[in-house]
Amino acid sequence: MRNYFVERLRRLAPIFIEPVEDLPPADPEQVVEFSREFLRAGTPAFRVIFYAMIFVLQAICLLVRGKSVYSLPPEEADEFIQSLYNHRFTALSTIPTILGTPMYMAHYNRDDIQEPLGFDIAAMREEAAAREVQR
Amino acid sequence: MIIQPEGLPGDIRREADVVIIGSGAGGGPIAKELSEEGYSVVVLEEGGYFTREDFDFRAGQAFTRLYRDASQTVTLGMPTIVVPQGKTVGGTTTINSGTCLRIPRHVLKRWHLECGLRDISEEELGLLYSAVEEYLQVKRADPEVAGRNNILFLESAEGLGYSGGFLPRNAKDCEGFGVCAYGCPSGAKQSVNVSYIPDAIRAGADLYTRCRAERIVVRGGRATGVRGRFLDPHTGKKTYRMEVEASVVVLAAGAVQTPSLLMHNRLCLSSGRVGKNLSIHPCGAAMALLDEPLGNPKGIPQSAYVDEFAPEGIMLEGVTIPPAVMAITLPWGGRRHAETMWRYPYIGSFGSMISEHDSSGKVVAGPSARQPLTFYNLGRGDLDRLKRSILLMAEIWFAAGAKRVYTPIAGFKELTGPRDFARLARTSLNRAGVYGLSAYHPMGTCSMGADPYSSVIKSSGETWEVENLYICDASMLPTSLGVNPQLTIMSLAMRTAGFIDDRLSEGAFEKQRAGRLERLRGRLRTEKESIAKRLAGESDSPRQLLG
Ligand SMILES: Cc1cc2nc3c(=O)[nH]c(=O)nc-3n(C[C@H](O)[C@H](O)[C@H](O)COP(=O)(O)OP(=O)(O)OC[C@H]3O[C@@H](n4cnc5c(N)ncnc54)[C@H](O)[C@@H]3O)c2cc1C
Ligand code: SF4
Repeated sequence: MRNYFVERLRRLAPIFIEPVEDLPPADPEQVVEFSREFLRAGTPAFRVIFYAMIFVLQAICLLVRGKSVYSLPPEEADEFIQSLYNHRFTALSTIPTILGTPMYMAHYNRDDIQEPLGFDIAAMREEAAAREVQR
Repeated sequence: MIIQPEGLPGDIRREADVVIIGSGAGGGPIAKELSEEGYSVVVLEEGGYFTREDFDFRAGQAFTRLYRDASQTVTLGMPTIVVPQGKTVGGTTTINSGTCLRIPRHVLKRWHLECGLRDISEEELGLLYSAVEEYLQVKRADPEVAGRNNILFLESAEGLGYSGGFLPRNAKDCEGFGVCAYGCPSGAKQSVNVSYIPDAIRAGADLYTRCRAERIVVRGGRATGVRGRFLDPHTGKKTYRMEVEASVVVLAAGAVQTPSLLMHNRLCLSSGRVGKNLSIHPCGAAMALLDEPLGNPKGIPQSAYVDEFAPEGIMLEGVTIPPAVMAITLPWGGRRHAETMWRYPYIGSFGSMISEHDSSGKVVAGPSARQPLTFYNLGRGDLDRLKRSILLMAEIWFAAGAKRVYTPIAGFKELTGPRDFARLARTSLNRAGVYGLSAYHPMGTCSMGADPYSSVIKSSGETWEVENLYICDASMLPTSLGVNPQLTIMSLAMRTAGFIDDRLSEGAFEKQRAGRLERLRGRLRTEKESIAKRLAGESDSPRQLLG
């Protein structure tokens, strides 16, 4: 992933992944690392579309809000992302959906995020090891 | 032996009786059956080899290691549908839910009447199913570990008078770790990677991992071998060459890759049917916010079904998802996304599967054999059925006490009660208005049939055009199946193995076939507790299924 996209992704992560209750906040480095691997293992088409969407998101934001998406105050950025998700034109609602895919997967794939949600991977792994099934 | 590319000295040349491309639901059983008959068998598998120790509960890692293209495989058309496929030893069975259903009787009738496949008799198929069920230790999901999500939905459906029950699965001693789709960490699920493949290896088969078949060698109208390349495990780049000379070639690369390989090799194209006739069982989902924590994803993800609407082509089946997958399924982002995810323990989910009537799809050659293009358009009737299935799931969730139901329909992402429900019921959907659809059962792209002008393979599995080239995977199924297909693919694989055995031993066909069936009958008779009997004796057997 080129540095340009790494930088953009770092800045988009906290916009897409808002802090909530007791869950740890987004870790932009982890989001970048996971996304890098997710894009590498995926299709060339998805990679191209993903990178293109970074530009498109910025372009639409400049057009509609007159500001860069990276410089919007958090409330306004959230509103902007939400408006795209809810847009009745699928072409527009697809933009945040595609960008959000690796970011959300990265974040909610973290053990320290899944555990407070009731998915305790360490405990489950231990239990699975103890309950190995032989054919 | 399982041979991984890391230890290879250089290019490999082999000879074998049979070379099989793909180690999934079609390839695995053939490898076992034929190696146990004493034939030398080589299996080429593009994906890597992983064991239960490697399956670490993390969906993110599973997508990048076990799924083709990190599960970014989608159909082009209206609407876009994600069609995940496995790419690992065991194929898609390694990452599937373990549901084992037989073909519905009316679908087999269609095969007989429309496709001329009368020689796949109900009796023979029944025996094959019994043998596979016995081997995979298929039994109903244990309600103890079925998971609150599935049980709540099922109870609510039954309360509304809809028929349903617990699904038959190939997961003995399953403890409901809830991550079947990311590799079973206890080894309970008897997917091909822990059943057919180890048995094939024990019987002498060799399996080469991260080896992608590229060329099917044909001489004088006969398949004589396969050429391929090993792939670097880290970069995916091509490394050493692989060449296998064999008397029989079996193509079992799945319903998307198999036609792609044929197209790139310019084989079997005369009928114009290669890649056509794609069906996928499009799936919808309805998530629900409940008052009680469901303990997700603990519990069997797919343990229950509602088959009241199966005659209409709608099957409802359980699906519990871990946080990382729910996070990419929600139709909004930012603050609202975070707040919904925080309620993850209270969110239930269920899925619907549509048996196609008027949708159409095809696989066409892409820029490379690896990257075929899949086109699929959802038909009007199927779209209506999909909407109906989502309404049904919403109805069942509301009856279960849901406060909100989340749907994949634009304008109806969140239903809060009867008014929203009625509004959705009245609305006529357009295809662009449904998003986030997925489908897990691509099939039919090299269909079996009695007529060489309208099918790609004979009922024996051999292609009409190239002698000794057999196809045995989901691509051979001639129509949309209406139920999860692995059991049917495996049963037909056993059948095909019999025909290959016959070809290799050059025995008289009918005699061999009768002998094979007799052996199978004998094997089943001697089993004290035949799973076939157990299943047949159960009152909650899904409607209309064979056997
Ligand atoms: C998430 C999920 C859940 C599912 N749950 C169920 C379920 O509960 N019950 C059920 O019945 N079905 C289920 N299915 C579907 C079922 O698993 C598949 O229909 C079945 O495995 C298809 O068998 P196949 O032999 O056609 O292909 P696969 O099992 O996919 O095997 C094909 C193999 O060929 C390999 N291959 C492809 N091209 C090449 C090449 N050129 N060279 C070498 N190797 C190659 C692939 O890597 C793959 O491993 C599920 C599917 C998914 C995705
Ligand atoms: S629920 Fe868990 S133990 Fe059971 S088959 Fe699935 S992954 Fe394995």
